[in-house]
Amino acid sequence: MNSRKDIALLVGDNPFHGISHLSQERARVRGNDSTYADYAAELITISLDNEANGFMFSVSEQTLAILRKLREEEKIGRLNLYAIVPYAFEYVRLATQVGGIPGLGKKFAKEIALSGNVRAVAMGVKGILGSDPASLMKTYLSYEISRIKSAAGKEANLKSLILHQLLTDMGLALDLDWFFKSFIDFLLKRGITPGFNTGNFAYLVNKFRAWNIDLAEVIVAAPFNKVGFQMIPSKHTCEMALKSLPEPNVIAISILAAGYIKPLEAISYIATLPNIKGVSVGVSKESHASETFKLLAKKLHE
Amino acid sequence: MSEDSCRVGVIGLGKMGLLHASILNVLPNAQLVVLCDKSRILRKFLKGVFKEIRLVDDVEKLSDCNLDAVYVTTPIPAHFPIAKTVYSNKIARNLFVEKTLASNYDTAKELCDLANSYGGVNMVGYTRRFSVIFKKAKSLLDQEKIGELVSFNASSYSSDFAEIKNGSKIAKSRGGVLNDLGSHVIDLALWFFGDLHVESANLESQSEDRSEDSANFGVRNSNGLKGNFDVSWCMDGYRMPEVSFSIVGSKGIINVNDDKLELKLKSGKTSVWYRQNLDDYANFWLGGPEFFRENEHFIQSAINGKNAEPTFYTASKVDRMIEQIKHRADENEQ
Repeated sequence: MNSRKDIALLVGDNPFHGISHLSQERARVRGNDSTYADYAAELITISLDNEANGFMFSVSEQTLAILRKLREEEKIGRLNLYAIVPYAFEYVRLATQVGGIPGLGKKFAKEIALSGNVRAVAMGVKGILGSDPASLMKTYLSYEISRIKSAAGKEANLKSLILHQLLTDMGLALDLDWFFKSFIDFLLKRGITPGFNTGNFAYLVNKFRAWNIDLAEVIVAAPFNKVGFQMIPSKHTCEMALKSLPEPNVIAISILAAGYIKPLEAISYIATLPNIKGVSVGVSKESHASETFKLLAKKLHE
Repeated sequence: MSEDSCRVGVIGLGKMGLLHASILNVLPNAQLVVLCDKSRILRKFLKGVFKEIRLVDDVEKLSDCNLDAVYVTTPIPAHFPIAKTVYSNKIARNLFVEKTLASNYDTAKELCDLANSYGGVNMVGYTRRFSVIFKKAKSLLDQEKIGELVSFNASSYSSDFAEIKNGSKIAKSRGGVLNDLGSHVIDLALWFFGDLHVESANLESQSEDRSEDSANFGVRNSNGLKGNFDVSWCMDGYRMPEVSFSIVGSKGIINVNDDKLELKLKSGKTSVWYRQNLDDYANFWLGGPEFFRENEHFIQSAINGKNAEPTFYTASKVDRMIEQIKHRADENEQ
């Protein structure tokens, strides 16, 4: 069991994409001043100066630009990277614009082919010829890893690659155990911790146990907050599932319930939970960055 | 159909088809049996994904699947021929169709007639009726919290096509902004206020293929309530589609959108609700809890043989209003 000092304090990227779950109106206002890589990199730096030690982000052109900036400023080595793939919003929107899933497939195949990633191209060809979804998934993961490494450089520590909530939850719903096992196996062989972002934490824990997936080998990013917002099917069930884990492997997200709860109240609740490996919080202003991470360190590392 | 289980097939495996199929697979009283899509490449790929679910290329091949219910999640123009085949070949008695019901009002009416003659439960996927926020707004309106309704402004915006203003054939193939994004706000307005008559309309195209990209229209109901709608999928800053209403009554105002509901009474009292304090729970989360509640409602209604709102008849009013808007817009242009 790790000590509370080991709890990772991660800067979340939602504000950098203009996301606020409390209000889209607030997100639009926020989007005007914080979507730029320079400003985001500055916020991450302030957070690092106040005890944050990682960055949890969806892999998109915006976040890759932030990584490039942090690399330029020689700060990339100070933080662990927790990358969420795919950036589902970008792909859903692209599917809308290019004509659904087949259109998206064609566009994506073209991007991989042009990326020059030989391993990814080879696995992709194998996947297409054999209609093999596992090979196509590996192609995709190789492509995303190469994008991150190319932006962040050799100094970067890619701690975990986390499957986006939409795919994790669709895979859970459709009983795709082979998909999860293949994802885990592929990443473990590359020394990267496999992660899963889910809106169905208790369901995932039960399914993984039923599929004999070792929960100690993975990390799970899931909502945990005092008001039970997005804790499906209930706050109590999620807390019980958390308690049942063999060791701390959960990254708590949505801890502020999308701005509904004040930081002190939110963090005090998280401090009562067992098996928390890390906490991810988005910050959109310099003062938020310093105050929030100072408070997180004080409450969670004490 | 057994008393506690419903055998289901899904036709059309785009993003909505996959979303419904996934949720159906976790519903305890539904059994996802078969998926149907005409795309050979997609079927070949999905065969490796869904190892225990049958995949077919043609609706008629569902005849031997002993289905209780079918979901139609294809592009809108295919809704009518598919639903007709499902009914006439007795593939299933219960039918769920993604919005909008049909590509025009005449076809929607034909579908309602077909549904009436074959029986069973029918429903259209207007998901926002299952949002805790809009449900709360409907409840406040039903309780006449803001008194007699005077006027409203409604909007529905997204950034889906904000960056591709110079000619997108896709925008047109999606049926235009009214069928796509506008249908949600129209359905909510009909749910909130009852039948509405279109008095004026203006449609605009921002792409070269003359697709409908934005719409503005004015309505009135028989009690004198006046409303104005603004709909666009070319708006900057709407990362997710957003529907909002500002409703003025004799005793106060209701402002509601996908995230927040505000009740401001003339007496000076103001109340605010968010998803966070409205028990926004479901047994499974995919795309938002409202999708789970919507599917749960349809399947339970099919098992019980009870009406599932919004029915084809209810939803056909959206198609009728869209047709009225287009007609008014044509008159404006002449």
